[in-house]
Formats: sequence, C-alpha cells, structure tokens
Amino acid sequence: MNHLDTYNLRLYVAGQTPKSMAAIVNLKKICEQHLSGRYDIELIDLLKNPALAQRHQIVAIPTLIRQLPEPLKRIIGDLSNLEKVLVGLDIQPM
Amino acid sequence: MSELVPNLVPLHRDAVETIDAIHHGQVDAVVVIKGVEGPQVVMLEGADKPYHVLVERMSEGAITVGPDGRILYVNERLSELTGHPVEYFIHRDLATLFDAAAPSLIPDESVETNLLRSGKAPLPVKAWAHHISIGDAPGTLVTLTDLSIYRRAEEIASAERFARSILEQATNAIIVLGADGHITHASAIAQDLAEGPALGRTFSEAFPLAPDTENVGITEHLSEKGLDRLLVTKPFHRAEVKLRSERLSKRTFLLSAGPLLDNKNLTVGSVITLTEITEIKRAEEQQKTISAELNHRVKNLLTVVQSLAVQTARWSDSPEKFKIAFIGRLNALAAGHDALMQTSWAGVYLNELLARVLAPFSSWGDERIRASGPEVLLPVDAVVPLSMAFHELSTNSLKYGALSIAGGQVDIRWQLLDADEQELELIWQERGGPKVKEARTSGFGTTLIDRILTRDLDANVEIHFDPHGLRFAVKFRVLRVIASPYT
Repeated sequence: MNHLDTYNLRLYVAGQTPKSMAAIVNLKKICEQHLSGRYDIELIDLLKNPALAQRHQIVAIPTLIRQLPEPLKRIIGDLSNLEKVLVGLDIQPM
Repeated sequence: MSELVPNLVPLHRDAVETIDAIHHGQVDAVVVIKGVEGPQVVMLEGADKPYHVLVERMSEGAITVGPDGRILYVNERLSELTGHPVEYFIHRDLATLFDAAAPSLIPDESVETNLLRSGKAPLPVKAWAHHISIGDAPGTLVTLTDLSIYRRAEEIASAERFARSILEQATNAIIVLGADGHITHASAIAQDLAEGPALGRTFSEAFPLAPDTENVGITEHLSEKGLDRLLVTKPFHRAEVKLRSERLSKRTFLLSAGPLLDNKNLTVGSVITLTEITEIKRAEEQQKTISAELNHRVKNLLTVVQSLAVQTARWSDSPEKFKIAFIGRLNALAAGHDALMQTSWAGVYLNELLARVLAPFSSWGDERIRASGPEVLLPVDAVVPLSMAFHELSTNSLKYGALSIAGGQVDIRWQLLDADEQELELIWQERGGPKVKEARTSGFGTTLIDRILTRDLDANVEIHFDPHGLRFAVKFRVLRVIASPYT
C-alpha cells in the first residue's frame, strides 16, 4: 500500500446521537493529524435512509468503512480509541 | 467446506467486534432487518437518554460545536427559532448563523446577538457558551435564549404598570371585566365602592344596584344576570344608577361600559366606569330652586316698582320731585337686591346693609350717623324692606330732620331681645335737628315704612315724632344669629 493513497472513508451515523457526534469529531481529528490532504469523508445518516445500511451490512452505529484503499475495512464504535482506529485503517503513525 | 472457512473469519471478527463495541458502550444504535420493511435503525438508550430528551424539549436553542467551529448537533428548538430544518445546520460554521457578532465561545460568558431566520427578521438572542468533551475531543455547547419573549414580557409588564397607575389615580371608579364577566381589575375608587373584595366577582355581586333606581335607562328592566351579560357584550353610556349599599344610598352614579380590546383589536372583556354625579345632581336641583325663586322675586319686584311709581307720583307735586324721589327709592330697592345677590340669597349682615343703603349720604362713616349692635344675619325676606325703610328714614332726615342741619346726629342701635335671640329690636334715634313737626306724619315715606315692614316682616313698628328728634323702633324675628358683637 502506497503511503500517498487517498483514503475514501464512509461514516455511518444515526442522526445526532452522542456516539455519532463523537465519531464525527474523532474521525476528523485523526484524519487531519494522520491523513492531511489525503482523505475524503462521506457521512451517511441511516435515520434518514436506513436502506443504505445494506450496502456495507451495517449492524451497529456508528460504523466507519474504509472503501479505499482496498481492502475494505470496518471499525465499529465512536472512534475514541486512537490506536484501534490507526490499526484498523492501516495508517502508520506519523 | 474448506473454501467457506476463509469467508467466515472476517464475518466472525465483525460480529465479535460489534458485540464488543456494544458492550463497551461505543455504539448507541443498531440496524435490524424487519421483514419486508428492510433495515431499521433502533436506538440503544443509555444513561444519557434523559439529558438528550431534556435538551430536545428545552425552550432554549442548543448547538454543539466541534473543535473546528463547525456545528455537530442542534436541537429542535433551534430549528423552530430559525425556521430551518435540523440538517441545515450540521457541519455549518457557527458564525454564519448570526447577522452580527457570533458568540465568543468564551466559557460561561454570554453575549447578545441576532440569530438569522428563514424569511423573517433576525431574532434577538442571548448566547451562552460552555466547554464540553465529545469523546476525547473538546467541544462547545452553545445555548440561545430568545430575547424577544423577554422583551415582549417587559413591554407587557410596562404596559400593565402604566394601565395600573391610570387605574389607581383615576377619579372615577374603573372596573375591568374579563370575557367571562368577572372583574380582573378595579381602581382604588372602585374598590372603595365595592361590597367586599371586587376581584374575581361579577359586577352585580361587587356593585349591586339599588332596586329603586330611577331613570336608569338601559338597565331598567334587567335582572342582575342580564346586566352582567350586557356589560360584556354591548357598549352603553351614562345610565344613571344608585348602589344598593346603605352607606352609598345618597350618592348617584353614571354607569358606562365599553369593550376592552387586545393588540389585535379583538374584544377580550369590557371596561366599566362609575362616575359620581351626586354633586352635579344637587347643583341641578339647587339651580331649579333658584330659578323658581328668582321668577317669583322678579314678579314681586315688578309689583313693588309699580306700586312705588304710583305712590311716589301721588305724593310728588312736580315731575322733578317725582324723578328724584322715585330714583332714590329704586336705588334703595337695588341696594337690597345687590346685597342679596352677593351672598347668593343666603342673607345679609345688618351692618353691611346699613353701609350699602346709607353710603350715598355723605354723613355715613363720620360721627353724624353712628351704628352699633351685635352681628346679625338678616333673613332674606327682611333685606329689601329694611333697605327701603333705611332709605326713607335717611331721606327724610336729610330733608327735614337731624341730617338737614349741621350738628344733627342719627344714632342707630340694635339688640337681640329674647333668650334664644330670635327677635331683633332696632332703634333709629335722631338728635340735634330742627324741632320735629307733626306735619311729617302725612309723608309717603313714613307710610311706606310702616306698610312694608308691617306687611313683609310682620314687624312691630313705632314712629315717635319727639320734638327733639324722630325716634323709629322696629322689632321682628330673625332666622339665626352669629354671636360675635359688631360695633
């Protein structure tokens, strides 16, 4: 995997629940620190469109999906555990 | 089977991870498949649920701002205040919500600013900022209080104070009825007139009208309930009423009613006024009495003038003498009336009447005419006859008596005779004049004196033609006496 690959991330949330909000804040913070200029985040609100859960077989919310670079990765929870997120996304600490 | 195993590993790992995340409280919603409806989001309610409900239902707008100044969360109230849906705010810069200064986000400090609204003028708000943690990241909770509510409340309170001060200072009784006919406000005067506490009762309960009220116009055939209904449904003016209360039975009021309008011009009750007209009624009655009395007096006066003219002509041997005598008598008549006019026909003090009638004679005020006696208020009926009598006496004295030569004097004395001081005796005594001749008895003056005093005052009159000076004595009843002496 090239270190310059762009990360295409999709965060599934459910409206404004506290964990969803925490996940948004934590993800942005991690991306700014470790993937500056190399990331793209798409927010999916399953409260508005639950059917979108099927595509990535989402069970728990919030869930982060790394679509690119492949392979697809999945992290469940509010992303407050930095180490777990970095490992889960295959990001080398800078 | 062996081909399937590698595919099961990530599924198993995901399942374990999901359960672990739920167990450690890292998720707050799950997706479940419900038959034909497909996937549905089910919230996992945690300990923070009550706070979430509280924030959604509170009357302030609430915004959670991430460390980058962008909005993560807003409550429904903010959506109501601005007219924008909740989604509109997510990921927006907080500063773009305001038309002026954005909240400083200094913890626990407040700032007044204006919140932009959809299709409406900006809303004045007070913004408070408070730092919170969102996961491991710092965030800010901003609450917005709608100041228009408070400003409107201040305006209402100010208007209420204004109206109340008018009520308290009004000289009329003012009563405000709500739409249900119960009293909501009563001025201080109205409270004094009410039978017990006025507030919360109907008009008829607090201000029962006297059943024998006369000339009540619109209220004439109404029951108490009918009147209460009328007061909140139909404006009317100036119905004359009396209140049933014993202590107010002698007082008369004008009852008026008009609609109480709100700021949308809708009728929300009525304003009743009770204006006291007792004094006006009394003045009207007095005016009627005075008019009738005046009419009577004018007729009498004309009769007297006619009689004076006829009698004076009979006793005058030339037109010139008639003119002088008649004008003198008319002036005496006028002096008596003037004195009565000045006291509104309440009576005249004897010394004042003497001063008026005798003023044309140069001797009045010097030592030649002396008057002494207690202060006596003459009854109205005595004023004109006495005025005429004093005129005749002084005219005669000037022509033939003490005042006709130097050194002559007139001494006028009076006193109250009986124990209850109801009878007055007045003596006119002349001295130092020419010797009195009996021929004066035939003059019209003495005849006039005798007639008018005897007839009008029921007085006892004596005229003595003493050669050393004429003595005139009269006794009659007076209405009342003031004790302080006059000399």
